[in-house]
Amino acid sequence: MTENQRKILEMLSQNKISTDDAYRLLNVIESEEGGHESTVKTEPGSKSKPKYLRVTVLPNADNEHAADVDRVNVRVPMSLIRAGMKLTSLIPSEAMDKVNEALRDKGINFDVRSVKGEDIEELIEALGELEVDVVSARGEKVKVFVE
Amino acid sequence: MNRPPMLIHLRVRSENRKFGLWLPLFLLIPLALVVLIILSPLILIAILVLWPSGWGKLALHVMKAAWGLFCSMRDLQVDVQNRNECVYISVI
Repeated sequence: MTENQRKILEMLSQNKISTDDAYRLLNVIESEEGGHESTVKTEPGSKSKPKYLRVTVLPNADNEHAADVDRVNVRVPMSLIRAGMKLTSLIPSEAMDKVNEALRDKGINFDVRSVKGEDIEELIEALGELEVDVVSARGEKVKVFVE
Repeated sequence: MNRPPMLIHLRVRSENRKFGLWLPLFLLIPLALVVLIILSPLILIAILVLWPSGWGKLALHVMKAAWGLFCSMRDLQVDVQNRNECVYISVI
């Protein structure tokens, strides 16, 4: 069992996510670890506190239209993500209901009110092990990782 | 809490326009603080008036969170570019 699978099962046992969500997440992890082009890697050894979330999009250098493709390099401090997520506790309850309803409409059965401070910390710590690497058919490389 | 950012570097380039700006926050923050001190009696009255409805407390929390969010922006960097256009934002 990988670290990600264990975390999902823990979240399920703590009723933080629904059974459907857990099933979906486990499927995603299974398919990603099966050797597809998109990979989500966990590095159990790296426990250093992540400082930045990086998102990069780079065109394929061999592509003749590479210069026309957008290059993206975004560095978001983890403290900004933390502060942004803490703002959810300030959303008035009337607005929370609307947010929950909108999420339900999108098929996400999640109560925004259930997000607590410790969950945010746990989530951000878990982000430290995330690395997404996608290579599109046109050769664009999308990387999401923390450093 | 983090220290507030000192500078914002903004650079926008399009086909027919080029725009760059260094925003010295270390000069603007003291000015904003002076304005806040001048307006503080009004803010205090507004919070006290709104307190029974619960919005006063929320306003206080929002102000604290907004400051926290502003301080957390240090080191944020956004760089999007292609051949003709470029948007670069860096908070230092």
